[in-house]
Amino acid sequence: MHKRALGAAAVTGVAALALSACGGSSPTTPSNTGGAGTSKAAATTTGTPETPSGTAAPVRDANVDLVIWTDADRSKAVQKYADQFAAENGITVKVQISTDTRAQFKDATKVGKGPDVIVGAHDWLGELVQNSTVAPVNLSADVAAKFLPSAIAATKFNGQSYGVPYAVENIGLMYNKDLVPNPPKTMDELVSVGQKLVKEGKAKQVMSQFVSKVGNAYFAYPYLAAFADGGIFGTKPNGDYDPNKLIVNSAGSVKGGDVLAELGKQKVLSTNVDDTNQDAIFDSKAAPFMISGPWSVAKAKAAGINYGIAPLPSLSGGGAMKPFLGVQMFYVSSKAKNATLAQEFVTNYIPRKDVQLALFEVGKRPPALKEAYDEVAATDPDVKAWYEAGVDGKPMPNIPAMNSVWGPFGQATADIISGKAGAKERLDAAAKEIAANIAKG
Amino acid sequence: MTKPIALAIKWVLIIATLAGILWIAAKLAAAGNVTAVVIAGLVGMGILAVYATRRAVPLKYLVPGLIFMALFQLFPVLYTANLSLTNYGDGHLNTKEQSISDIIAQSVREVPNTPRYKMSVATKEGDSVTTGDLVLLLTKPDGSTFVGDKTGLKPLDAAGVEKTPVGKITKAPGYSILNARQVNARKDLQSLAVPTSDGGGVKPVGLSEAFEGKSSVSYDAKADRLTDTSTQPPTVYEPRDARWVNTADASQSFPQGWKEGIGLSNYTRILTDDTIRSGFIKIFIWNVVFAVVSVLSTFLLGMLIALLFNDPRLRGKAIYRSLLILPYALPGFVTALVWKGMFNQDYGIINQTLGLSIDWLGTDFGAKAAILITNLWLGFPYMFIVCTGALQSIPQDVREAATIDGANAFRTLRSIIMPLLLVAVGPLLLASFAFNFNNFGLIYLLTKGGPFSGVDTSIGSSDLLITYAYRLAFSGTAPNYGFAAAVSVVIFLLVALMSIPGFRRTKALEEVN
Repeated sequence: MHKRALGAAAVTGVAALALSACGGSSPTTPSNTGGAGTSKAAATTTGTPETPSGTAAPVRDANVDLVIWTDADRSKAVQKYADQFAAENGITVKVQISTDTRAQFKDATKVGKGPDVIVGAHDWLGELVQNSTVAPVNLSADVAAKFLPSAIAATKFNGQSYGVPYAVENIGLMYNKDLVPNPPKTMDELVSVGQKLVKEGKAKQVMSQFVSKVGNAYFAYPYLAAFADGGIFGTKPNGDYDPNKLIVNSAGSVKGGDVLAELGKQKVLSTNVDDTNQDAIFDSKAAPFMISGPWSVAKAKAAGINYGIAPLPSLSGGGAMKPFLGVQMFYVSSKAKNATLAQEFVTNYIPRKDVQLALFEVGKRPPALKEAYDEVAATDPDVKAWYEAGVDGKPMPNIPAMNSVWGPFGQATADIISGKAGAKERLDAAAKEIAANIAKG
Repeated sequence: MTKPIALAIKWVLIIATLAGILWIAAKLAAAGNVTAVVIAGLVGMGILAVYATRRAVPLKYLVPGLIFMALFQLFPVLYTANLSLTNYGDGHLNTKEQSISDIIAQSVREVPNTPRYKMSVATKEGDSVTTGDLVLLLTKPDGSTFVGDKTGLKPLDAAGVEKTPVGKITKAPGYSILNARQVNARKDLQSLAVPTSDGGGVKPVGLSEAFEGKSSVSYDAKADRLTDTSTQPPTVYEPRDARWVNTADASQSFPQGWKEGIGLSNYTRILTDDTIRSGFIKIFIWNVVFAVVSVLSTFLLGMLIALLFNDPRLRGKAIYRSLLILPYALPGFVTALVWKGMFNQDYGIINQTLGLSIDWLGTDFGAKAAILITNLWLGFPYMFIVCTGALQSIPQDVREAATIDGANAFRTLRSIIMPLLLVAVGPLLLASFAFNFNNFGLIYLLTKGGPFSGVDTSIGSSDLLITYAYRLAFSGTAPNYGFAAAVSVVIFLLVALMSIPGFRRTKALEEVN
């Protein structure tokens, strides 16, 4: 009998180890001390965002009038204006930090314990509408006109608007000014400059870009979109993405695939670069170029890199590489317990310039409100550069069919870059798999 | 003397348990789950019958275990099996009625060229603010004021009306205006639309604005059809495969579908879909190989080190032992990520120090080898600990007897130490096998199941059944809980079949004792 007990103890030991490890990987949450200056109107609320324990979903506080879920980065800025909103209307508002808002919102809403408002990316929209977890948000035409048109377009699905945007992000070309004084305009120029630096021993490789063994559709898309009719989905007459018009293996997309294959052969792109080492390669000066987004700036700054930001280069035979635009926005839950207050907060507070500026300060992404963008761009060259790098970009598809694309398309580009398969045949295979997945979904 | 006290404690515990069940039943009743309430009631009566009487002594010991087994083992299995008979998944989470009302509600668009009203929510003076009929006090951009309720829009006499600079009415004779919290408490506000002459309705946005909207979709209950009038000619949608599909063009449908029973379709899909079937067999074989090799490799290495450290001639054993336990003491999740970095083809320390260029994580064989190596590192200290413990419990005199009988070291190991050791660690090896069979964390952190072949990226070459099911249910192309549940049931059956001989063997080991 005692041996059985030992066995059970061993299994629980292993489980406990796994659990403690799980707790150990919890993300950093903002310290409460830093929030002292931001919560002037804290009389009616707790004043500091509620942090979850570990990676578990936050538990909805049943006693407040408005519950907002956001990630840790944005929580303080949201908290400040939530407090103001609370004081103005004589109510209580709680901002809770969710480590994985998309999944936790879906699960909590299913059982009636979701928040009233969430902060998230626009490409969740198709899935949220499909599951009827978000409600339309009706901005008046003159308020909507104050935003960047691409940002407003991203908040729409089937012509209906589902939220208010506050930031736009996209990838661009980061370069090390100490090694490369002027950013290259074309990919050929980039490669020759980079290879020269490698030959001179000033760098170890030409460029750092997130590819990984399973591929990354978001980073590979600009290569395809540089060519006419290249990309992932065609569009309907009204400009919406059409899930029935799959163009991942169109003539233009295959040309983009050929470029990926060529760059893979030249070791400019490698499946051994992924999210874990992409920044380190650029920040250790091993590569003079990196294709990345605003999230990489803080690390480059901390590493003391004299970086510059430029639009993505153009490809020979095609045009400029066009990145996807990602729009950050506020959604209102369709099962909101406090729908009126949620609508009021999202339609009346988020379009304010000071709110957009505060959210800019924590995320450093170009604000979606034109007025706020103009003010920031006048003083912050980085923001202007990111915005200009994304001028030609199109919003990431927010149709549910896009969920069927990420995996197969990403893997196809990884296989093309690693030389496992030719561009044409591999993209054909990916198109077949994606179409089958869409039909199944 | 002690008997009345024991009796009192017994009854307090019984009543406390019954009160707990009553509380749960009340919650379940509030949620409207009749079956669950009945079951809770039966459990309560069962507990009373078993513990309040002097009969059924064995049951007194077994009931708690049985209840927990039903709750945490039986219920999840049945629930999963039940789910596997549905199409539950993204786009099919709600009921059909809900999909109809959602589609209609979300088709509401602002009528072009209509004004935005400034709005206050009020009730007629004298009516209760919590239950009285709601009225909207509206101000057009030109300053004219209106009052709207569910019958329609009427002009509001400007006399005595007070407004904010932007035009929101703050006071109107005959009406009591609700504050933010009172408005928020009125859930019926969401369904209020003041009818207008063109068939639309004035609907509130938040606390202080209203717009004139019109729904373009209508539902015909008799024909079970949805009609969208926003297109010319109107589009008609019919229910097909738990979705609203355009009758003229089957590729067009509303994204909001509903959940429905689909019988055994999920199971037939596992059996008939070629990629799934061949992939399933491939994953299953690798799953067994992974678990067996992991257990044997970690056990052999752990046992060899334990034997070495059991030698009385070795000095500084405490230090070595502590060092060897380190890989086990560090969180496995961190270690797995470190190993992932070390296996990187270009930048990893393994290829760099050995001068190799093996694509560890990008090839079928490389990924499997990398996983087994990492698991050996993670798992051997555990085996080392249990073997050390077991070895120290083997009496010295048995070994001495073997030596006296002329057995050499290897013979002693094979015939004396191993059998005694296996009695102790045999069940642990089985437990380790079961753990590794479902070792989700390692695979997910190291390879995410990859690399994936070109034919089908839903099946990776280092996938275990558990990572495969997880990808189907939560992170794949379109989360499909129903299908993932069917896969889980099949995995459950496979594991159950495999554990039968395992349990038999455990019994055999115990009989040695």
